[in-house]
Amino acid sequence: MTIRQPAGRRATAESLPVKILLISVVVLFFGLFLAMPLVVVFSEAFKQGSKVFFQAFTDRHTLDAIRLTLLVAAIAVPLNTIFGLAAAWAITRFQFRGKAFLTSLIDLPLWVSPVIGGLIYVLLFGRQGWLGPWLQANDIRIIFAVPGIVLATVFVTFPFVARGLIPLMQAQGHAEEEAAATLGASGWQIFLRVTLPKIKWGLLYGVILCNARAMGEFGAVSVVSGHIRGKTNTMPLHIEILYNEYQFSAAFAVSSLLAVLALVTLLLKSFAEWHAASQLAAGAAAGTHQP
Amino acid sequence: MSIELHSISKSFGKFPAVKNVDFAVKTGEIVALLGPSGSGKTTILRVIAGLEFPETGTVQFEGIDVTSSSAYKRRAGFVFQSYALFNHLTIFENIAFGLRVMPRRQRPSKEVITKTVESLLKAVQLGGLGPRLPAQLSGGQRQRVAFARALAIEPRVLLLDEPFGALDAKVRKELRRWLREFHNRTHLTTLFVTHDQDEAFEVADRVVIIDKGTIQQSGSPQDVRSNPANDFVRDFLDAGVVA
Repeated sequence: MTIRQPAGRRATAESLPVKILLISVVVLFFGLFLAMPLVVVFSEAFKQGSKVFFQAFTDRHTLDAIRLTLLVAAIAVPLNTIFGLAAAWAITRFQFRGKAFLTSLIDLPLWVSPVIGGLIYVLLFGRQGWLGPWLQANDIRIIFAVPGIVLATVFVTFPFVARGLIPLMQAQGHAEEEAAATLGASGWQIFLRVTLPKIKWGLLYGVILCNARAMGEFGAVSVVSGHIRGKTNTMPLHIEILYNEYQFSAAFAVSSLLAVLALVTLLLKSFAEWHAASQLAAGAAAGTHQP
Repeated sequence: MSIELHSISKSFGKFPAVKNVDFAVKTGEIVALLGPSGSGKTTILRVIAGLEFPETGTVQFEGIDVTSSSAYKRRAGFVFQSYALFNHLTIFENIAFGLRVMPRRQRPSKEVITKTVESLLKAVQLGGLGPRLPAQLSGGQRQRVAFARALAIEPRVLLLDEPFGALDAKVRKELRRWLREFHNRTHLTTLFVTHDQDEAFEVADRVVIIDKGTIQQSGSPQDVRSNPANDFVRDFLDAGVVA
């Protein structure tokens, strides 16, 4: 005997009221916690008119903050792209002792509070830190200076590229690389002509996330920055200062810039994600054993 | 070009895949490595290509020791069971790959590459499919692209890993015949791995039967059929096609 199902309904599908309930919970949550704050940022930024909004960007300290944020991202993102590629390569291509440990270590910055990410560098390079006396003797400034901010940002953002690539490279295997080797390609040629084209969208996805986090990081950078205006203030830190000084429009104006960055990131990310998925699907389709 | 293996052993972790294997493929010969799955036959092929490195023993090409040289230096034409085509490149570029990565001094000109690829496409009956992507081809067509790609670098030996394993019976038969004819024409030294005795006996000059990482018997198809060396060979041949 077979149990009859209503036409068009799958065995795993929920009933209509449950469906409506779940969807409205999600929509409500998104509205309350994501959409509304975004609206608030822009409406507050333009509250005193667009003149005040654009004036915020003529302020010297604001421009310095934007410049510093761009500089930090320009150093941290390429570094972590190289690191992420190397880590993903090592983990997916080689067998070695401590591989599982290394893999979980990559995730470390995601588990620990960013404040700790900043603090470790203060403890290492600060005046009272392990290397502090030597650095002072040689007149090298790391903490409360740009190098410290770069270090803290690199720490916080280093999992993104590697984490994006490892599952992708594992899924793709290395048969194509082996084929390239038997055809006479050197290691570097294999990387450029075979591996990189296969992972480019996954790599871009990781780089975009890494960049977004690098520009938006507050906690870790706050600890090592010292908040010296025009020198060691990044955009997020500058926003906090403006806000604490009751310059709400300016604070929200700079915030809106970060929000726009986030939206652009989201767009680029979806684009890269979509391409990465289709690239993986194309690889899977061509790799199957069907005649 | 001849291939010689001397007391080759290779293990993966604690599992010994190949144990003290000696054998040779003479210049111009086509030999089948026949055995059940897990017998170590693919590992032997990969050791010859330089994709795996043995713990003991030596590999010689034409009497020259190549045991420690890398796959890209040995340049043995290798056709993978899963084809391993470059999915992001067109069929044309797949076949041209080996020519494009040559050092500048040896690299043929663009015109020569185009000519070579076009003639290879014709040789494997894929004329006109150059601009397609691997995903747009059938299994049998992909297999032939893999052949053409391996042949483009004019390899001195051809190594085939279960070349027809993933194809349906009809396409298998056609490609089998094609391979034999191709060999009759070129006399390119060829070693192919298979678990299908019909395939081995139909195509190969000589069959090497392997089990649990060691060679059980080696000889011409008639030889092996009429005088099985031991119980394993007898049982294996009696069982017909063993997966």
